[in-house]
Parts: sequence; C-alpha cells; structure tokens
Amino acid sequence: MSEDYTEIESALRSLRPRSPGPSVAAGIAQAMQTPSRPAAPEKNIILWMSSGLATAACLVGVFLFSRNESNSLSPEYQLVSAEQTPAAVDILSPVELSDGSYARPVRLLWNNTTHWADTKNNTQLIDYRPAQQLALIPVETY
Amino acid sequence: MSDAHSAQDWKVWFAENGPRLRLIARQWTRSDADADDVLQEAFIRFWKNQRHLPGNPNALVVTSIRRSALDLYRSTDRRSLREKTVSADADTMTWFEPEADPRLQALTDSLPQLPDEQREVVVLKIWGDLTFDEIGEQLSISPNTAASRWRYAMEALRKLISTRTYV
Repeated sequence: MSEDYTEIESALRSLRPRSPGPSVAAGIAQAMQTPSRPAAPEKNIILWMSSGLATAACLVGVFLFSRNESNSLSPEYQLVSAEQTPAAVDILSPVELSDGSYARPVRLLWNNTTHWADTKNNTQLIDYRPAQQLALIPVETY
Repeated sequence: MSDAHSAQDWKVWFAENGPRLRLIARQWTRSDADADDVLQEAFIRFWKNQRHLPGNPNALVVTSIRRSALDLYRSTDRRSLREKTVSADADTMTWFEPEADPRLQALTDSLPQLPDEQREVVVLKIWGDLTFDEIGEQLSISPNTAASRWRYAMEALRKLISTRTYV
C-alpha cells in the first residue's frame, strides 16, 4: 500500500464545499443581537459560578490617618486604579452530566482589585475580589 | 483560517469558515437542512461561549458541531428519521461546488461513497484541519485508528477516481 497521498490530499483541499443557506447567517445574526445567558442546567455549556466565591472572598482595607482631629468631613474618594489579573486556567477531569453526557470542566481564576483614595484625609479603600468562571467542554463518548 | 480568539466581527470569520464547517456538520446529519440547523446552533454556541477558551479553535468548533448534531439526532423521532434516511441520498452530491476538472469532479462524486467512518476522518483532517490526535479525541478512537481509516480512505478514493475517470 503506497503511503504517498500528497496528490490526492492536495486535490481534496482544492474542492470547494458549498456555502450554508442564507437562513443560517440570518439566524446567527439574530442570535448575536441578543445577549448571551446561561443555558438550562441540562444543556449547560457555560456555568457561571462567581457568586459563591465572591461572597467568601471580599477584602476591604481601610487606613485612616488624620493630622487634624477637627477634620471630620465625609470622605471624598477618587478612583485610583482598577485592575484585573490574567486568568489562570485549570483543566479538570471529565464529569458526567445529568443527561448522561460527559464534559470536561475548565476553570478560570482571576482577581479584580479596585483602589480609591481620599487625599483630604489620606484615606484609602481597596476592594480585592477574586472571581472564577467554570466552563464545561462537551466530551463525545461514542 | 482567521484567528477566532480575536475580537473581529463574526461575519468575517463565518464567511471564511462557514462552507467547510457546514461540510463537517453534513457528515453527522441526514440532510442539508439539518446540517444548516446544526451549524447555526453550534456556531452561536462557539462564538458566544467558547471562542475565548484556550486551545485549538478548530477543535472547539468541531466539538460544538458534533454536540449539536447529536442533540438533533436524539430529539428526532424514529419515524422522521426513517423518512429522512430515505431522502438523504438525494442530496449527497450537493456537498461541493461543481468542478470543471473531470478528475476533481470525480473526487467530489467519490467522497460520499466512502464508508462513514472513513469519510468523517477525511473531512475532519482536510476541512476540519485537525491532527490525527485531535480526530481521535473527537471520535473517541485512537490516533492510530484515525490514521488507519485515513489510509484506507485514500486508497479507496484512488480506485474510485480511476474508475470514474478512465472507464
């Protein structure tokens, strides 16, 4: 059996598959105009699970320094910075879903840090908020 | 293939990749209409939720197509499946644009005649741009099995083309 399939492979690549029907692009365009939202649990592809971790991981640091004790004005905070770290990616072992299919969870972890400051009384407020997103990549088993 | 991780408009990406993705969808559906439905659902899922994920976007979109095709298969009752199976053979010749070169036309006519398991490997390698490792993951077979099916398909296509061109 000859192993040189270069010619036939090249011929295959030169073939031109037919384009999808015009209704496909129209349907996609309509779907793109609506905001994405999580699917029903049985059909989930993306699961947003930020609330659990967010509630457990909010750190607020306040430092108050006042040279003048008589300065009791309410603070006037100004935004100094708002940063988001690059997401770390964890690819987890496949799991079985409720409909009997299998999927591989992929977890993205990142941190949001927002920094405000009040220069009048040298007050600083830092909001450190870890976040995560869990995505399920379908795994075909047949 | 354009970079699916960039923020470019979906229309550009779809215009470039839609035909080959439809051909892939067609391998796992019983009609052109079903392939269009599967492609639409799979593309929306890929573009909205998966294109930013790490990894080969080709493999991601092919996985999405296969999942949609499987969902369609499961949701269709046996009666309509039987009806579609009867009518499926009628449009197998519409997978490609017609070719002026008789040898290429013979190839377009021959590809649908391959056994399903060989043809899907050919389509995933040529138009899915996947490696044998990635094909193996898609079809839940070993890379060696995928490569073996590829070789059998190439030999079969050679014979079919020779028959159609020279007889």
